Amino acid sequence: MKELFSWLLEYGPFSVFALAAVGGAVAVVLTQNVVRMAFWLIISLGAVAGLFFSLNADFVGSAQLLIYVGGTLVLLIFGVMLTASGPFAVKSNSGQLVPAAIAGALLLAVIVYTAYQVSWEDQSSFDPRGAVIHGHNSPQDGNTTRPLGQSFLGARPDKDLGRKDGGLTPGYLLPFEIISVHLLVVLVGAAYLARTKKRKA
Amino acid sequence: MQTVSLNVYLLVAGALFVCGIVCMASKRNAIGVLMGVELVLNGANLNFVAFARYTKLGLDGQVMSLFVIVLAAAEAAIALAIALNFYNNHLTIDVDRANELQG
Amino acid sequence: MDATKLGTTLGTLLTLAWLLPLAGFTVEIFGGFWGSRKSKAAAYLAVACIVGAFIFSGSALLLWGTTTGWSALESQHESAGHGTAEGGHHGASAHAEDPAHAKEPAHAKEQVEAHAEQPAAEHPAPAVAHGTAAKAEAAPAYPKYFSGTIYVLAEFRALRLAIDYHIDSLTLTMFTMVTFIASFIHIFAIGYMSDELTDQHEDHEVHTSHGHFVRPGRFYRFFAFLSLFSFSMLGLVLAGNVFMVFIFWELVGVCSYFLIGFYVERKSASTAANKAFIMNRVGDFGFLIGLMIILSYFGTFQFASRTEGDVKRPGLFDMLRDEHGGIKLSSNGDTVFLNEETATVDNAGVRETKTIPYFLLLTAGLGIFAGCIGKSAQFPLQTWLPDAMEGPTPVSALVHSATMVAAGVYLAGRFYPMFVPEVLLVIAYIGCITLFLAATIAIVATDIKKVLAYSTISQLGYMMLGIGVGGWSAGLFHLITHAFFKSLMFLASGSVIYGCHHVQEMPRMGGLRKKMPITAYTMLVGVIAIAGLAIPHTPIAFSGFYSKDAIVATAMTYAELNRSHFLLFIMPLAGAGITAFYMFRLWFYTFAGEPRDHHVYDHAHESPSVMTVPLLVLSVLAAFCAWNGEAGFLFKMLSASEPAGVAEGLTDQFSGLNLPSHHQIHENHATAGYFALLVAALGAFTAYLFYGKRLFDPADVKRQLSGLHTFLAEKWWFDELYDVMFVRPSHIVARWCAAFDRVVFDGFLHFLARFAVTVAKWDRTFDEQIVDGFVNRLGEVTFSTGRVFGYLQSGRLRQYVTFIVVGVVGIWLLVQFFSM
Repeated sequence: MKELFSWLLEYGPFSVFALAAVGGAVAVVLTQNVVRMAFWLIISLGAVAGLFFSLNADFVGSAQLLIYVGGTLVLLIFGVMLTASGPFAVKSNSGQLVPAAIAGALLLAVIVYTAYQVSWEDQSSFDPRGAVIHGHNSPQDGNTTRPLGQSFLGARPDKDLGRKDGGLTPGYLLPFEIISVHLLVVLVGAAYLARTKKRKA
Repeated sequence: MQTVSLNVYLLVAGALFVCGIVCMASKRNAIGVLMGVELVLNGANLNFVAFARYTKLGLDGQVMSLFVIVLAAAEAAIALAIALNFYNNHLTIDVDRANELQG
Repeated sequence: MDATKLGTTLGTLLTLAWLLPLAGFTVEIFGGFWGSRKSKAAAYLAVACIVGAFIFSGSALLLWGTTTGWSALESQHESAGHGTAEGGHHGASAHAEDPAHAKEPAHAKEQVEAHAEQPAAEHPAPAVAHGTAAKAEAAPAYPKYFSGTIYVLAEFRALRLAIDYHIDSLTLTMFTMVTFIASFIHIFAIGYMSDELTDQHEDHEVHTSHGHFVRPGRFYRFFAFLSLFSFSMLGLVLAGNVFMVFIFWELVGVCSYFLIGFYVERKSASTAANKAFIMNRVGDFGFLIGLMIILSYFGTFQFASRTEGDVKRPGLFDMLRDEHGGIKLSSNGDTVFLNEETATVDNAGVRETKTIPYFLLLTAGLGIFAGCIGKSAQFPLQTWLPDAMEGPTPVSALVHSATMVAAGVYLAGRFYPMFVPEVLLVIAYIGCITLFLAATIAIVATDIKKVLAYSTISQLGYMMLGIGVGGWSAGLFHLITHAFFKSLMFLASGSVIYGCHHVQEMPRMGGLRKKMPITAYTMLVGVIAIAGLAIPHTPIAFSGFYSKDAIVATAMTYAELNRSHFLLFIMPLAGAGITAFYMFRLWFYTFAGEPRDHHVYDHAHESPSVMTVPLLVLSVLAAFCAWNGEAGFLFKMLSASEPAGVAEGLTDQFSGLNLPSHHQIHENHATAGYFALLVAALGAFTAYLFYGKRLFDPADVKRQLSGLHTFLAEKWWFDELYDVMFVRPSHIVARWCAAFDRVVFDGFLHFLARFAVTVAKWDRTFDEQIVDGFVNRLGEVTFSTGRVFGYLQSGRLRQYVTFIVVGVVGIWLLVQFFSM
């Protein structure tokens, strides 16, 4: 019973989220109506956020919910609305679906095959460190906000604490800055691109 | 307690990815294509985070996925701007009509 | 002075006389540049040069005579009593001296007489001759000739080409005669060519598309050519070796070409010049053959032997003939042995007597004579001389009557020792045929200059005949006298032409002696001279009588000695009659009777004194240059150079020909003289009847004998014959050659060209189809491939994505397969 419970505890959320994610994705593919596609996408992305949470990546999951679901998808819905010029479901997919589906299936086969070829146990990384340093648990165990924040500021305590040789692992300060600037550029570019122009009648 | 194996997560991520590809390849609406892009990126994100959890990748995987999220948002913004521009010029959002760059 | 000094002085004098006209030529030929066309300076220079040459020649003659005391003339075989052609030949009075002189060293001029037992003559002349002979034998003997080298051109081992001189009395006489006549002709030409003294001379016989041809005058050029001609002729006479003769032979031919073709724009004149030169060239071909034979067998070209320093150079005459003029023959008569003394010693010191096969000696003689045939317009090369009358009349006077055509006779005389009797026979017959042929044509000729031209040919035939029958001095005597009266007659006809404004046809003249008396009467002097008229038994005889008489006498004796060759006597006799006839015909036609063309008659006038004075001077000489005939100065001068053996005659057992000796000739002299005189008088009288008194009408005779007349008027159809024999075949050959050239050579070249074009076409096709095609196809393939690939770029986004996915799968598969 306990095993069942633990199995259920382990696989239950996972399967729900996984099914929701994949199902939502498939629904996105199959739906003709673009608004409904947006809806199914929300479902899918939310499920992915759940999957993140079950992988102990709490910050990433939060970020996913916040940014993706709350931002990007809203953006997409805005886009849908702004570019509506008729019934939403009129545009039907032409015969491209079949070749795309075949290609996709092939790709899926390739990916799965590759994934199963690699023996991931060699790569497994359960932290061999014994004691848990107070306040700094391994990222796989959740509480990833602080380590993430620290790494964005250039420090990597999750790697450097307890290091015997006293070396420092570089953080992600530079990429962080680059991304920031990038975002700025994108904002400016998008604002320019989407400015109001005379419509060609 | 049995943990979910990495392969399953990879499978899920792969499925998301492929759905996203198929969506990109088959939707006529430009926004639909963008949705496909979001799906692809999400699949990749899931991969990253799964690897962050199950392999030595550790924090780096999560950092990568954060970057991906941010960049995906930026990219969605730009793509939408382009689509809006296209709509403004052609009064349609059909990607099949955007075939002027043909050989 | 002694002999060598005399020789060199004479040589220098005559060389100066020879080169003076050349100096004149080099200045005058540029007369177009340093003078105006209206200036007579070139003429004065030319006259000065030729008169200077005459002065030198005359001084040489006088020097020679006074130094030798005229011994050459006196020590001759007696002809003192023959000047008046009396009956009763006295045989050679010098025979009396023969026994006395038999033991004397052989005088070069002493004749060995066959009849030694002539009675001693009672004339004072023989005594004088004896005395002078005795004087001569006591005095130092001057050589018969003086020979030396002026300049050695080249020496190729045995062959020695030099400019050298050979001076004997013949040379001196010729020099004086040529320079004298040339001087007066130069002076005459100043007047005759005066219409060239302008910048715009209109030539009436050249027709262009707009009227007559106008050109600048060529006065200076005429005198330049005359000077050059004088230089060439004097060089020929001076020559001491036969090669130098040949050089100047050609040079006079060239000058003749220039002068005949003086009016070069006239087609007739330029054609005539070509004809003259080419026919001369035909003769010179024989000349060259003769020269080559002589060079091969004798090894030298020199006429006479000379010793220069310590080098003995034998000459041709001494190599062939001994001192009596005989030839050494082998027993069968096939080979001639050349003289021992003149044999050369070769490098090994071996003395070798040279021999020459007889037939080659004969051929050499014929070859050299062939040149004479060409130069002196003998049969068969006589047709050029009448056409040469296209040149101005002074040219005809100088070149084609007195000098150039006489060069042939001069060479025949000079080269006489080298001729074997058969050659002499050929010479005689050629002369005989020529004199008759030309005389008959002259009967019907109507152009005044053509009559004189045919007359010249005929008289040259006489000279050749004279030399051929053994009358060496007679032939050359006639040469000198003919030079005087023929040039006189040509100048007179030139005066007539000038006075009648360039009318030359006798039918348009008549009665001109009232308008041009000086011309008429000087012409009459010439006509009487050539006819050979004289009043017998008196000294009144013009020069032609003596010279023609000498030839006829020699011919008569020859015919007596060789009965089968009787024609050689009959023909000259008949020819003398015909000569008299046509010459008097000319005179009566032109100067007597009624004028036939009043337009010409009215405008006729006497010529200016620059032209009549030479006529007067020459007429005096034409009449009296042979004063005293064979006893006279002229004949004796010529006889002084007679080759050894001529006087004795020859009885040749091999050829069967006998040449008359002087004694035999003298026996026949009177009879021959009577015959000749009779015939000439008949001819003159007939002409008077026909043309002077007009008793018979020549037109009737012409109608009656129209066939004969046409034959004669067409010059015996010789021109047409040569046209068919030589000119037409040449044209045919030329046409064949041209056709061959066109068809074969050009055809080959055209074939090559066409072949090249065809190859080029194939090449082009290959280049275009294959090379270009390949490149084009490459381009097309690329283009179509690109177009095909272009279809892939459909612009459809969804397809792109699908392709991306397919690509990824494909790459994965590839990697999988390759890593297996």
